[in-house]
Amino acid sequence: METKNITSKILPVSAILVYLFLWLPTIVLVVLSFSNNKFGIKWEGFTLRWYADIINNVGIRNALKMSLTVALVTVVLSTIIGTLTAYGLYKYKFHGKKFLRTSILLPITVPYVVTGGALLVFFTRVVNIPLGYPSIIIAHVTFSAPLATFVVLGRMGRIDWTLEEASADLGANVLTTWRKVTLPVLLPAIIASAALIFPWSFDDFTITYFVCGIGTTTLPIYVFSQLRYGATSVINTIGTIFVVLPVIGLLLMNLLQKKKVS
Amino acid sequence: MSSSKSVGLREKAAKFLSDQVYLPYVGPISIWILLFVFAPLGVVLYFSFLRVGPFGQILNSFTLEHYRLMLKPTYIQVFMRTFVFSFGTNIICLLIGYPLAYFIVRCGGKWKTFLMFLVIVPSWTCYLIRLYALKTLTGNGGLINEALLNLGLISSPLNILYTPFAVVLGLVFGFLPFMVLPIYASLEGLDPSLLEASEDLGATPLKRFFTVTLPLTKGGILAGTILVFIPSLGEWLVPMLLGGAKVMMAGNLIEEQYIKLGNIPAGSSIAVVLTTIVVLIIYLSVKMGGEEVLERMM
Repeated sequence: METKNITSKILPVSAILVYLFLWLPTIVLVVLSFSNNKFGIKWEGFTLRWYADIINNVGIRNALKMSLTVALVTVVLSTIIGTLTAYGLYKYKFHGKKFLRTSILLPITVPYVVTGGALLVFFTRVVNIPLGYPSIIIAHVTFSAPLATFVVLGRMGRIDWTLEEASADLGANVLTTWRKVTLPVLLPAIIASAALIFPWSFDDFTITYFVCGIGTTTLPIYVFSQLRYGATSVINTIGTIFVVLPVIGLLLMNLLQKKKVS
Repeated sequence: MSSSKSVGLREKAAKFLSDQVYLPYVGPISIWILLFVFAPLGVVLYFSFLRVGPFGQILNSFTLEHYRLMLKPTYIQVFMRTFVFSFGTNIICLLIGYPLAYFIVRCGGKWKTFLMFLVIVPSWTCYLIRLYALKTLTGNGGLINEALLNLGLISSPLNILYTPFAVVLGLVFGFLPFMVLPIYASLEGLDPSLLEASEDLGATPLKRFFTVTLPLTKGGILAGTILVFIPSLGEWLVPMLLGGAKVMMAGNLIEEQYIKLGNIPAGSSIAVVLTTIVVLIIYLSVKMGGEEVLERMM
């Protein structure tokens, strides 16, 4: 009984400490984004001028535009490739299936630095793919398509496939079956993978850093380039947006799920 | 005769095509992986054996010098550090992550969702931004030093940044959610009747934990280890931001050669060694049952 008492006291306290560790830096960052301090490291009175700054900043607007475009294209391409792959892996037996599965895991397991570096060498020394939108999107899809594959594949087992068989029995061709039955059944899984890939692509720094080249960059790369100049107040504001957006996204997803259940 | 032969051929072709119905599904990813995973990794392997000319140009002649250079004490030291840091990060994540997951599961109900939410959100925000936030907080003029100075606990600012401690702190900060998640999932899946049974049989809470709970959540621990240990081996952002040039890890060596020095063969040889180590460890963990564990999580 005594040990139970001790653990029941230690556990909450240690949990609070861990949460502080996980969240304190972010909370401080958000608070300091409203501080009048030029370097964004001290509290010197409330201001919204950094937010006005980032709205008026062309560099940030372009970086945001690029980040959103890259993330959107990545989500579309990756979910299409990933859903097809998951379907093929789930429904068919073929030679080299095991090898394919292992190969798909490769981009997720190889260190980011290696993937980024290898793609940079490949794009610049072997095939001439321009550094910018094409290279960044290819790099992002290389990582995200496997992610989509495994998210969709993981949910395949929970799906009732009898409808699809019925549709085929009733003479619908492959395309009609996909459009009317398979796709609607798979939709939650596809949305789940998109919800994972969009923030990943939007947030990615390492892989983009290697293949972005010079010129227009994504938002994380922009933040990184600003770090060198030490213009930190702006970073706090951009950072706040990076924190607030996923919170809203996750809350929305939670709400949608609850609605479906009830 | 010839017509029946062509019919036979046509049938064979039709059968062949119907046998390949999986191709439209797995074709795109196969081509993509071949083009953008195998080809680039192959190119890296190839470049790692090429000589570098006096002006930094890549010569088309075979050499092992880049691999030999990695036997230098400085390189070995960096690789050893990478191992020790990753291992340490994993242990620390396990030691803090397990109690946290245990606490969250025990809270139950609405609290459980909220507390897990607080663990998951950081892993969804920009990694670079989070590390930057940690850097400002622990820096010389940062909040922690200011607070300690004002409280009179220290007389001069603590040098936290650019130390091994800062790097491990950053790694734990970044990877902790990936340890908590699978452990939480395995604790959630635990059959409560087993715990009741062991309690009925007179096991103390401590004994119950070590003989029932811990062994049954082994899968979660293994999955967490795969998700923390392996990515830390390839980490470079944390040491770059919080460790500087003094506390480099293997990933930083690759970035240094590729981007800062532009020596592609040298960077490639380090990339080959690091990838080989990582793939070997993944292979071993798959052998230990890691694949099943990871797949169940997805």
